[in-house]
Amino acid sequence: MRVPKGFFVSILCVFVLLMGVSVSAQDEPVTLRYTLWIAADSPQVALFNELAAEYNAQNPNVTVAFESIPFADYQSDVTLQLAGNNPPDAGWIVEGAARSWVESGVLADLAPALTADESYNLADFSESSLELWTEGDALYGVPFSTSPFLVLYNRDLFVEAGVHTPDELIGIDEWNWENFALTAKGIADNTDAYGFQSVDAALYTGNFWATLVPIMRGFGGDPWSADGTCQFNTPESVAGLQFVQDMMFTDQSMVPPGAEVDFYAGGAGMTIGQLSRVNRLADAEFEWSIAPLPQGTGGYEPVVGQAAMVVFNNSQNRDAAIDFVRFMTTEENVARIAQFFPPARESVLSSNAVIESNPLVPTDLMQSAVIEPIQVGRVMPSSSQFPRIELMVRPLLDEIWVEGADVQAVADSICDSISPLLAR
Amino acid sequence: MQSPIRRYHSMSLARKDELIGYLFVAPQMLGFFVFVLGPILAIFLFSTQERNLLTGVVNPVELANFEYMLQSDRLFPKVLANSLIFTSGLVPLNIVLALILAMLLTRKLRGMIFFRTLFFAPVVTSAVAWAIVWRFLLQGDQGINQLLSGIGIDGPNWLREPGWAMASVIVTRVLKTVGLNMIIFMSAIQNLPREYDEAASVDGANFSQIFFRITLPQLAPTILVVLVLTVIGSLQVFDHILLMTNGGPANATAVLIYYIWFQAFKVFDIGYASALAVVLFVIVLTATIIQWALRRRFIYNEQ
Repeated sequence: MRVPKGFFVSILCVFVLLMGVSVSAQDEPVTLRYTLWIAADSPQVALFNELAAEYNAQNPNVTVAFESIPFADYQSDVTLQLAGNNPPDAGWIVEGAARSWVESGVLADLAPALTADESYNLADFSESSLELWTEGDALYGVPFSTSPFLVLYNRDLFVEAGVHTPDELIGIDEWNWENFALTAKGIADNTDAYGFQSVDAALYTGNFWATLVPIMRGFGGDPWSADGTCQFNTPESVAGLQFVQDMMFTDQSMVPPGAEVDFYAGGAGMTIGQLSRVNRLADAEFEWSIAPLPQGTGGYEPVVGQAAMVVFNNSQNRDAAIDFVRFMTTEENVARIAQFFPPARESVLSSNAVIESNPLVPTDLMQSAVIEPIQVGRVMPSSSQFPRIELMVRPLLDEIWVEGADVQAVADSICDSISPLLAR
Repeated sequence: MQSPIRRYHSMSLARKDELIGYLFVAPQMLGFFVFVLGPILAIFLFSTQERNLLTGVVNPVELANFEYMLQSDRLFPKVLANSLIFTSGLVPLNIVLALILAMLLTRKLRGMIFFRTLFFAPVVTSAVAWAIVWRFLLQGDQGINQLLSGIGIDGPNWLREPGWAMASVIVTRVLKTVGLNMIIFMSAIQNLPREYDEAASVDGANFSQIFFRITLPQLAPTILVVLVLTVIGSLQVFDHILLMTNGGPANATAVLIYYIWFQAFKVFDIGYASALAVVLFVIVLTATIIQWALRRRFIYNEQ
């Protein structure tokens, strides 16, 4: 039998057509690039990879590649990738930069996808925890880490100096900033170590907010108000700044400018930090513990640092990225990452997942120094003009860290220089 | 149409040489156009724009960036002055020290190799390690100050007092890079004809006469090259300052290049950063032209 040529051709055409349909019906394979600022070989990323593998099992076409960028370069690297039209699909953003990112319009709105999924239960996140990431009805980030600032201390130095430890002071309801300064002075006077080191020793050359905001708020002050009014020069804020200057020069209990000291190597009795810093003490050669921030003159004012997962608008795989962020922040998965990142989900916070999550921290301290502060704490300040404000504030603060400097006068000039920026 | 190969064969020998020459430099020229000339031209364009890296906003603003720089930016005069102080401190110190070391280390004495290695070692040391080690040495009451207090001197808080911080970054930077200039001077000195020195000393010239009247004039072309390179290099010192002082205290060590980086990669204001970069470019260009013009007055034996 002779088969006409046309027959083969039409068979071939049908075949090609079917292939085309089947390819478009079955989703094309995508790899999501997800940027974060912790080391690629850290246990946190190992857990994230585990979660991504589970997601891949449910969605075989989606794989996720986590890309680690050091924190110091993170903002500029991601921005350059966006400007170079090669955006990551998803990633992390830290609280200080939140407003500038949210207002820049480069982030994708996650609200439609998250509210569409009833089992996700977006209402489980407290309103205050979403505040920074919200604009109108749009939600540009899901906070995965709400980490309160707390005091880390070297118990050996307290014993050597013969001063009350924070837990003893808490026991008699005397854990306030005044006694914080007194114990720091006791340690500085009676041991070779300093009493207090700023957060990551970065007060003079790096992130000074982390040290100053908890102390300023403890005295009832704040760098600026929610409506963008500068408050550096209010009596309360000045009292906080004066407190730091006094510890530095009058008591000489705080690590002064120009000294390279490391709390984590035993160089100071106390420092302020977050839960993630506890891992750095796992191999410490001294006895250590943590405590909540001291009571302030205006009551207890816990301060919370925040980081959120976001999706970039220009991502080629935007919908897949949004769905992956949804998956990473479901109740079940938030509970699993809670051992590293204190959650913003109320249901997880009140479950046992957090309180027993960190083998280095006993449950009672987890409750008092981590969980309670998250529930009542306020997030660090943010502004769309953050880098410009920092540029103005840093050199002026340097003028305060000089013996005998007039704190009020410098605080006034800080407000003079940043008020126009805050008004934008 | 002739095929390219035919066309090549019909060329004169001189044209062939020319073409081959261009082909050989093509990779380098291509790199130059794409990675050097392109960005430089782009900077000039960007400097007339409002250009935000984060939001992607681009608006032509003509000379508004320069107006802001000259009229309203309170930091600009400060960083410009800092750059001038940094360069005018670093360059003479670097060149004089390099020259002295080169004179000493070209003598034929025992152990010279050791000292040459010693002074050259910082050049190949990582800039990061160098800055961090010096930060530890220059603490308020540790390191160098501990040694000083041993002999009864109460040293300053080197990196945290404005004047001393600038001096500290200059000196530590000189120590880091002086070895390179030293090597250049050494090879120049070793190539000088000995006859003039010998003739002068036979005529009774002393050491300083020989140095200032014989050696130094012969070294003038080398000194010019080293001067130009050191001035340009000094205006581009960034990592060292970032790591040692992060521009502080009170912006005392924030130089122009540091400020450009801050505006570009912290504030994401690429337009303004580009305008600052144009200023830096003009400064470097002017400094180089002046130095080049001066060579007629000081260099006698230019080849």
